Amino acid sequence: MFKIPIEELTKKAYNIRKNLIELMYRSGSGHLDTSLSLVEIWISTVYSDFFKFDPNNGAWEERDRIFLSEGHACPLQYCVNAELGYYPIDDLFNTFRQPESPFQGHTKRSLKHGFENSNGSLSIGLWHAYGHALATDRYVFCVAGDGEFQEPSSQSLLFAPFNMKPAPNFTLLLNYNRLAQDNMVDLGPIADVAALYNWQVLQVDGHSFQALGEAFQQAIKDTERPSFIVCNTTKGKGGAIEFAGKLGHHGVPPKGEEEYKAYLAGLEAGRQK
Amino acid sequence: METYGNESLREAFGKALIDAGKIWNNLVVLDAGTKNSTYSQKFQEVFPDRFYTPGINEPGMVGAATGMAMAGKRVVACDMSVFLHHAYAQIRAAARQGSDMHMIIAATHTGVAVGPDGGSAHDLTDLARMRLVAGFNVITPWDGRQIRSVLQVILEEKGLYYVRLNRPKVPLFLPEPAPFELGKAYKLSEGERVTIIAVGDKVYNALIASEELGKGFADVIGVSTLEPLDSDTIIASAKKTGKVITVEDHLYIGGLFEAVAGVLVQHHPTPMRRIALDRIFTTSGDPDELAEIYGVNTAAIVRMCKEFVG
Repeated sequence: MFKIPIEELTKKAYNIRKNLIELMYRSGSGHLDTSLSLVEIWISTVYSDFFKFDPNNGAWEERDRIFLSEGHACPLQYCVNAELGYYPIDDLFNTFRQPESPFQGHTKRSLKHGFENSNGSLSIGLWHAYGHALATDRYVFCVAGDGEFQEPSSQSLLFAPFNMKPAPNFTLLLNYNRLAQDNMVDLGPIADVAALYNWQVLQVDGHSFQALGEAFQQAIKDTERPSFIVCNTTKGKGGAIEFAGKLGHHGVPPKGEEEYKAYLAGLEAGRQK
Repeated sequence: METYGNESLREAFGKALIDAGKIWNNLVVLDAGTKNSTYSQKFQEVFPDRFYTPGINEPGMVGAATGMAMAGKRVVACDMSVFLHHAYAQIRAAARQGSDMHMIIAATHTGVAVGPDGGSAHDLTDLARMRLVAGFNVITPWDGRQIRSVLQVILEEKGLYYVRLNRPKVPLFLPEPAPFELGKAYKLSEGERVTIIAVGDKVYNALIASEELGKGFADVIGVSTLEPLDSDTIIASAKKTGKVITVEDHLYIGGLFEAVAGVLVQHHPTPMRRIALDRIFTTSGDPDELAEIYGVNTAAIVRMCKEFVG
């Protein structure tokens, strides 16, 4: 199912969360809580046994693609791609969110760094990914946020397999952490609607490598329909326990040493479970 | 002036797309529910597997088109111009992917030339909107023959291109093959007393006006690339005549007038007048009737030249 054992993935998740906390604490800005909610989802994708890429040749034609539509989660993409060997992690820590850095506040497309798409404004990246999937025979995975699905043009993607063309090589990963910037998010019957519009719909624990890995295997087995995977997650997962799953922390990095320590304590507590 | 019949810019574009589809195997065409108006339907008839539509969904169309371009396709996204307002965020996002991809947006139904569908359908701000998106070339072809040359050029070189077309049949007046070089403005007639600069099918009106004004009266410059604008040709003519009139079927804000004014005010301040629409919403009517009402026809150009030159 994965290229390496789940115990190894778990260690990687811990290291990446630690890097995320450090990165955003040091830089004083960035979307930590969204990034934390996506750690297992992103790792599961790039470490799935079928998922091909080459960190030394980011523009490799035969690569499989992972698009990030909710662009504010780019710190996670940056940390994972350092782990994968696209660039040294120091490059990220030294230049994150600085002028002309490849590690902008929202992703700027750079195949060399493994960044498939420029993003930021919500509801756009998922259409880029879907169009891309129609134009390639490689797998195209796309991470989208739940808040993002309040945008009409995100919702209209659900019709695409039905009234445009099915892209069976496409998998949408919905980060359903139920929190947006200023309010809770309830997408109601979105999974049922997606099924009606010809998606293979799967619902999983978005922090379980086992569940995610199995869902991804099922996604690529369906050669008729694209897949819509509702990943139930916790915003701020593995960070400060008192903040996880709570409103008011979107785009807010740890403030002061006390909050920083709370994040690290949450990280350690999550590790022991 | 010799002409070779009439053809709408949108129909010429639709036909040229078929020829382009035979040359470029990776050319794909999208439309957002207007394929019989934009003539992209012709491409679909010949290449059904290379035509996509999400239905009446402009953000979806421009988004998917961008993704296809990112996958290495030559992409042409067609729509009636005014509906592309819906996809402005997606157009901006397309440009933010970088210019190492091949994407063309073809907008039909621009200006009051759209006619009886009325103010809701007259796109009078598209040039302004597209000039604001860094990375997009803004192309304003003059007749159906030039459209064939435009497509040949822009399908050859990667980049982001906006092509302004329109609805009614207009005269074919250029030789074949018609001239088109990206970023080049063309001096079409020589004169001493005033410079007339026009975009799109208004170039024909400018040339007819120049004929009426008599030999040696007006320098006529045809602009088929509004962005990037050929400053040198404009400045040289302004230095010679000392008076400049711009002609466009568009608001005076953000289009040709302000682009030319921006160049001249910096390099060679020159008195200017404009043939363009005021900041208004327009009415239904026949295209020629509307051009008369809003003062964007040949007679208006002649009148303004005479008043301006004195």
